[in-house]
Formats: sequence, C-alpha cells, structure tokens
Amino acid sequence: MAKTETTLKTAKRSSLSERTKEAISGYIYISPFFVLFAIFGLFPIIFSFYLGFQKWNGLGEMEFVGLQNFKWVLSDEIFWTSLSNTLIMWVLGTIPQLLFGIILAYALNAALIKMKSFFRVAIFMPYVTSTVAVAIVFGIMFNSQDFGLINVILGWFGVDPISWNTSWWGVKIAISTMVFWRWVGYNTIIYLAGLQAIPNELYEAAQIDGATIRQKIQYITIPMLRPIIILTVFTSTIGALQLFTEPLIYIGRSFREEGITVVLYLYREAFTNLSFGPASAAAIILFIIIIILSSINVFVANRIGR
Amino acid sequence: MSEKTVSNKVSISKLFVYALLVIASFLSIFPLYWMFVMATNHNSAINSVPPAFIPGSELVTNFTNVINTIDFWGAIGNSLIVSVVATLGVLFLCSLAGFAFAKFEFKGKNFLFFAILITMMIPPQLGLIPQYIIISKLDWLNDLKAIIIPGLIDAFGIFWMRQYISSNVPNELVDAAKVDGCSNFRIYWNIAVPVIIPAFATLAIIKFMYIWNDFLWPLIVLREESSFTIQVALRGLIDNYVRDNGMILSGTFWATVPLIIVFLLLNRLFIQSLTEGAVKS
Amino acid sequence: MMKKWLIVIVFSLVALFLAACSDDGDKASGGKSDGDTVNLDFWVFGSTGYQELVDEYMEENPNVKITINEGEMNDMHNNLFTSISAGSGAPDIAQIEVSQVEKFLQAKDQFHNLNDYGAEDVAENFLDWKWAQAQTVDGEFQIGLPTDIGPTTMFYRIDVIEAAGLPTDREELAAEIDTWEAYYEAAKKVKEETGKYMTDTPQLVYNAIRDQQDLQYFNEDDELIMEDTVKEAYDFTTKMIEEDLIGQNELWTPEWGTAMAEGTYATMPGAPGWMVANVKGNAPDASGNWDIASIPEGAGNWGGSFLTVPKESEYPQEAYDFISWLTAPEQQLRSFEIAGLFPSTPDVYENEEFLATTDEYFNGAPTAQIFAEAAKSVKTVYMGVNYAIVDTEISTALVNVAVDGADPQAEWDAAIERITSQLERQ
Repeated sequence: MAKTETTLKTAKRSSLSERTKEAISGYIYISPFFVLFAIFGLFPIIFSFYLGFQKWNGLGEMEFVGLQNFKWVLSDEIFWTSLSNTLIMWVLGTIPQLLFGIILAYALNAALIKMKSFFRVAIFMPYVTSTVAVAIVFGIMFNSQDFGLINVILGWFGVDPISWNTSWWGVKIAISTMVFWRWVGYNTIIYLAGLQAIPNELYEAAQIDGATIRQKIQYITIPMLRPIIILTVFTSTIGALQLFTEPLIYIGRSFREEGITVVLYLYREAFTNLSFGPASAAAIILFIIIIILSSINVFVANRIGR
Repeated sequence: MSEKTVSNKVSISKLFVYALLVIASFLSIFPLYWMFVMATNHNSAINSVPPAFIPGSELVTNFTNVINTIDFWGAIGNSLIVSVVATLGVLFLCSLAGFAFAKFEFKGKNFLFFAILITMMIPPQLGLIPQYIIISKLDWLNDLKAIIIPGLIDAFGIFWMRQYISSNVPNELVDAAKVDGCSNFRIYWNIAVPVIIPAFATLAIIKFMYIWNDFLWPLIVLREESSFTIQVALRGLIDNYVRDNGMILSGTFWATVPLIIVFLLLNRLFIQSLTEGAVKS
Repeated sequence: MMKKWLIVIVFSLVALFLAACSDDGDKASGGKSDGDTVNLDFWVFGSTGYQELVDEYMEENPNVKITINEGEMNDMHNNLFTSISAGSGAPDIAQIEVSQVEKFLQAKDQFHNLNDYGAEDVAENFLDWKWAQAQTVDGEFQIGLPTDIGPTTMFYRIDVIEAAGLPTDREELAAEIDTWEAYYEAAKKVKEETGKYMTDTPQLVYNAIRDQQDLQYFNEDDELIMEDTVKEAYDFTTKMIEEDLIGQNELWTPEWGTAMAEGTYATMPGAPGWMVANVKGNAPDASGNWDIASIPEGAGNWGGSFLTVPKESEYPQEAYDFISWLTAPEQQLRSFEIAGLFPSTPDVYENEEFLATTDEYFNGAPTAQIFAEAAKSVKTVYMGVNYAIVDTEISTALVNVAVDGADPQAEWDAAIERITSQLERQ
C-alpha cells in the first residue's frame, strides 16, 4: 500500500517535471531566434529611433537635435523625388508584372498545351538570376549610346536613340524593366498554382450554363484567385518600396535624381554623406510609409474579401 | 459546319496561347543568352551597331580578364560558405523552434509565436545603420560572420516549420515517444526530422537563394576584396574605371550559370519551393 | 541520449562556423602575422598600376605580404571613413585623394603620425605644397606621404582636330587655343566642320577651369565662396552646353568610357597624368589617335593622392617602410611609366631619362616634358573639408543642364541650396 503510494507520487512528480522539462526545452529551442533578434533586430531598431534625433557623422560625439533631422529630410527635395520615384517605379514595375503574370498563368493552365514544363521552366528562369546580375545585364542593354541593344532595336523601328540613364522616364523604365523581367515568371507560377487549385467542376458547370470565356474569367477565375492576387500585390509592394540594388547598379554612385529611391537615399545619407542622423530619420519615415501602405493593403483586401 | 468553326476557333486561340508562351519564353531566356554572347565577344563587337548576336571567340580572354580584375573564385567560395552555413543553421534552428511551437506546451507560447510573426512585418532597412555599427563594434567587418550570424534570424522559417510540423508529425507518435521515455531532443531528432525533410528542402532553397543573392547588407559590411561575396564582387566589375563590357558580362554570366544549372536539374523542386513559400505565408 | 545528439549537432555547427570564419579570417582581416610574415592590406583607387611595384617590393622583402584592394574612389574613401569611425575594418595602408585629405586630417587621431616613423627626413624629396597638404598647420602631424600630382593638360583626338581644320601639331594647337575664349571659338569650328563635340562631358571643361583657380569652394575659414571663384567656370561651361558644343556624358559612366574609343569628340581638357591609364584602358585600339597639348590659360592640378597608415594597423613601421619606398623618386618614376602617375618629387623633373619619355599611344608625345611643364604653374589650393560634397552637387547641376536642358542659373541656385543643406548636416 505504502509502496503504491510512493510510486504514484514519484509518477506524479516525474510527470510534473516532465512538463517543466518540456517547457524548458521549448524555451531553449526557441531562444536562439530571440537572442539573435534582440541583438541584430530589436536593438538596432530602437537605436535607429534614437539616432533619428541625433546629429552624428560617425566620429565624435552625438548631439541631440530634436526633430531637426526629420525637418531636413522632409524639406529635402531629393527625398521627395526619391519617394515619388519609388512610387512611380512601383506602379511601372508591379502592375505590368502582375497583369502579365495572370495572362501567362492562364495560358499555361490552358488545356491541351504541350511542352508545359518547358514553358514553365523558361518563364521562371529569370527569378533564379541574381538581382545584381539582372541589373548589370540590363544596364548594358539600356546603354544610352547608339550601340546600346535597346537603342539598336528601337532604331529598327525608326526611333532615335534614347539617353536612358539620364532622362526622367528613361531611368525609370530601365529599372522597372529589370524588376519586371526578374519577377514576372515568379508571379506567373504563383498564379498558376492558384488557377490549378480552382476545381474544374466550376468551369464545367459554367460551360453547361453557356458561359463565355470572358464570363468564366470574370466570375470564376478572378474571384477564386483574389487571395493570391492580394498576396502578390502585397509582397511586390513591399519589395518595390525597398528597391535598391537595381538603381544602385544602374545609375551608380552619382545617385542621380532620376533614379534615386528611398532606400538609395537612406544609403547615400548614411554611407556617402555620413549623416547618420538624417539617414535614420529617413529610415523611420520609410517604415511609417510601409506601415501605412500595408494597412491600406490589408484594409482594401478585407473589403474585397467580403 | 458549326463544328468546323468551333475547331477553327479552338486552334486559333490555341495558336494565340502558343505564340504568347513562345514570346514570353524567348524574352525570359534572351537576356541570359545575350549575356553569354557578350561574354564571348570582344568589347568592340559589343559596342558597335548592330551589336553582336552570335557567340564570338573571346570566351577565355574575357574570363581571364575577369579573374585579373576580381577574385572570382574567392568570391564564389565566400558566397558558398555564407549561403551553405547560414542555410544549415537556419534549417536546424528553425525546425527546432518550429518543433517547440508545434508540439510543446509552455507559458507564453502563443504570444511568442505571434511576436515572431510581427517581426516579419518590419522592413530590414529600419535598423540598417545601427546594425552596421554593431557589426563594426564586434569587429566583424570584412568577416563572413557578419552575413552568417544575422542571417540565422528567420521568422518565416520558424513559421514554415511550425506549420509543417503541426500538420505532418502526428501527435500520437510524439506522445508514444514520451511514454517510452524519449528525451525531447530525441523526439525532435528521431521522429520530427525524418518527417520534415520535404520542408527542409523547401526552406533550404528559399534561404540559399536569399543569401546567395543578397546585396545591400554584404555591400555595407564587406569592404575588402578577400571577403566579398560574388554579388559584391560583380559590382567591382562595373566599378572599374575602364569599361570592358565583354569582361563584365563574362563575370556576370559565369556567376549566374551554377545556379541556373542547379535550377534546371531540380526545377520542379525549385519552382514548388519558391512559390509555395510565398503562398503559404 | 539527448545530450549526445545535441553535442554532435552543436559541434558540427561550431565546426562549420569555425571553418567559415577562420577561412575568412586568414584572408580578410589584415595586419595579422602568421609566423614571420607581416600581412599589409593596401586600399587603392583608380588605375594606379601599383601591383607591379608591390610584387617587386614583396620579392625584396619576403617577410612582407601586401594585398592590394582596389575600389572606386568615392566608395573607398567612404569605406575608409566609416571604418575609422567605427574603429574597425580599416586597412594598414590607405590611399587618400587630395580633395579628401583635409577631411581625414580632422580625424587624425585615427591615423599614425608618419613623423614618428621618419617622414620628416624624406620631406625634402617632395613638392612643398604637396607635402603641406597632408599635414596639420603646425606641421606636427603628417598624415600621408605624397604619391602623384595631377598637373592638367589637354588631350586631343588628332583625327577630329584635323577634320576641323585646326593645327594637329601639339605646339601649334596650344598656340591656337591659348585662352578659353579661343577654346570656345575652336569648339564652334569643330562643330561646323565635323558635327562633333569639342568634348563629351561638361564636367571636364568645368573642372579644367576650376582647377586653375587659386581659391575654389572654400576659403581657409571654411566659408563657402564659390559664387566668387568657380561661378565663371560654371557659366562658361553652361554657355558651351547651351550652344551644343559639349556632349552630355557624365564622367566615369560607361557612356563616357566607351566614347573614348569612338572619337566622337575633339578634346579632353584638364586631363592630368593619371588620366593616361584611363584613356588607354577604355580605348585600347585608339593608339596614335590621341595627342597631348598644354591647356589654355595655364595648368591647374586635378587629383593626386597620399598614402596613409590608419591607426588600426598593427604594423605601422612596416607599412611606413613600404610607402616611403613606394613614394621614393625612383618608384614614382616607375609609376609614371606604368600608369602615368605624375611624380610629386621635383628632383625627377630634371632627370634626363624622365624628360625623354615619350608615349607612342599619344602619337609619340614627350609626355613627361609636357606634364613637367604644366606642373610648374601649379599652385597650392585650399580645398576644405567638404570639397567632395560641393563638387558632386555642381557636377549634378552641369549634367542636368546638359541632359535636360535645364536653366543654368536655376540649376546653380538649386545646387547651392543642396550644398548648404548638406553642409548643415555635417
């Protein structure tokens, strides 16, 4: 009797300690993330907010300057140019990308198409190319001189050479093309996955009801794809707001106004002009912009979702 | 008659679809082909009207110039080191954390998981400058650690692993192992890990591609040629005061080829992994 | 059991890290001595051709291993500045350009004082003004040893000049184009006869005149005085742009580089010795098409550098020994032969062998003689701490006028505004 009681007790105790053990293991297993994030994620973010209110060139003492840095950035025309550039390139790069993505996905999903996997691989291939490589290759294609590839091709159609890298639209078109080329295949495949998830019965039912192709797209495809469309808009928006590599490689360190983006502006302030205060202020402003655009995105998505 | 028009219609629309796909494939592949063409041509053949469209004979010369301009193999080696080490580290840490979130009970679990999800929303540029300062205070500038260690932070990876483990590792198995007195780590290692190999493959491809292609961060913390990753080194080609497009594209082409080959071999897995990751999140 | 596995995993991860890091550590962090070898990292920019000399030095000093790290000029200076401010990542030896040296002098406690290693003894080897640029006002602190100077000349395309009906002989051409007014007239002639530009980038004309001014952007109290000093150069340049006599390329862009090979323009005004390597590199097939004449209204100085030893270096003596060797007259002479870097050691200018140097690429021009002649009229210019900021903005303004046809005065005012706001942030 006494014996059973003690075994019961030990069992209880061991089960209790089992649970604590499990909790401890749990904490240990997730701790690397939190430790690393604290050092390389959270602390830098807090420090950014601190730096945004300081004047500091990297050397010497920091000096508290209140909102001065924000005033500078917000009254800096180049900052606004960088913001409008970013938004323009977002529109130029993202919308065609998503549109063509849907069209290509639809084509790939069409029945009776042979060599589907070849097309899939070919269209997806640009995504495997690194951003730097894309920017270099397209940078050379968009050479402003007569012998630049794009200018030569335009020449076949009787168009005069365009000075891509210095004209207001030229730079933006060149950079948006780089973004478009690298991402269109990726979005195509995502849409394709979405299309394939739509049950065939829906189309068959529509077919019986005598729906046209357009009606099928309008009433079946688009609504069913909606969550995926929202997702791609969301990710490509965030990607576009962080545009950096393509403009840096293409316009180089002249940071010409035609192609400067917000992240490039931030980079220039910090690592070229060594004004860490205004650079941090710019980072905070970018953060706020991303939050606002994301909220709009989520809001609109919810609205449509209903 | 009506049957005929229908079949005509079908073949026309089919033709249209084919034309669309062929053009799209052509435009997708052409820049890569052109990169190869340029990599085999002399600079003067590139800078002429019309530029070269067929491969030339300068393949070796151009690549020799690349090697004389940048430390190509060293940079490829550095890229491999950071990508492989960071990927392995992420696989291990994320699966472990994901396992804990999926199968263990502990206080604050849901809150902590939520916190991880929130961190995904923060744009990486926000902490860029202090991150740079931290790395320099740690004396990690020009050191591959500066890429690898922060690269181990992967909120998406944890999320991904948790989802996969919750739905693919049966609770009964875990409980049975517990009854058998298996340690927690053994349960992870012997029961969870074998089941989640496919999730590993997916996460590995996503992570590897990400680190391999990353540019902004390496650009900031790696300043010495011996520590350059291939992306930063490639920029060195265009920064040269002397422009040799044949050389530039030769370097770019040969830096791109390895990944393309791996992609062609494993294209199904690649496409599935990279898109699945996006959709599921 | 669990522990065993954990240990295995942890060990393999640690091993991987160590493999990654040590592999990198050996190569990347300089200034480490393995055994008896001293490793020196050496940051340079531009086309210096130093590798050949470094190889020679390493042969003579087998205990020293020097790794050259070549970067773009602005990048290199920015990296150096952020590195010294962070206190990590700086090399053992860094090349600093003349327009930046003032800025780094302000951070002199991040550098070794070369006077502590014997720099004073070699001072007399160098041009006085050049030497003085790299020291504090009291002369106590010497931040760097001078490498080259950039006395300016005018490179020209013989074929284009000939087609324009201008004299192709370098002395006759210099006599014909002896003032900027004459340069402007010649430009009109070139345009009329050949349809080509006098030069392809507005910055070159502006820089050439800028470098002839005794005072440029700042006075010695660091006050912005550009309205009185370089505005004329700006106005002259924009006038030529508006009359379509100058092309639209921006310095150092791919378009600028490839245009050198094409012969689409007649002259490259304000080109110093170090430009030689750039032209040859960009237009390797144009040998014999180029020649060098003296620049209208007397030479200025564009560029030229110093070699410094950042404080982080653990081997300042070895680094100093190397840079004093590299900047010694004999080696400067070699650099001139290799890359056209014009020596800052005046003894060399009298050297017969040096003066006899000709360059087939430049149609057999006696390059040494021409640059030496130009060097005589070079005066000391106070550049100020923030020279680079101002210069970048003016370049932007010029390119805007050239490319967008923007109003010169409006662009100038906008540039001044940007400059003022940038300076406030410093």
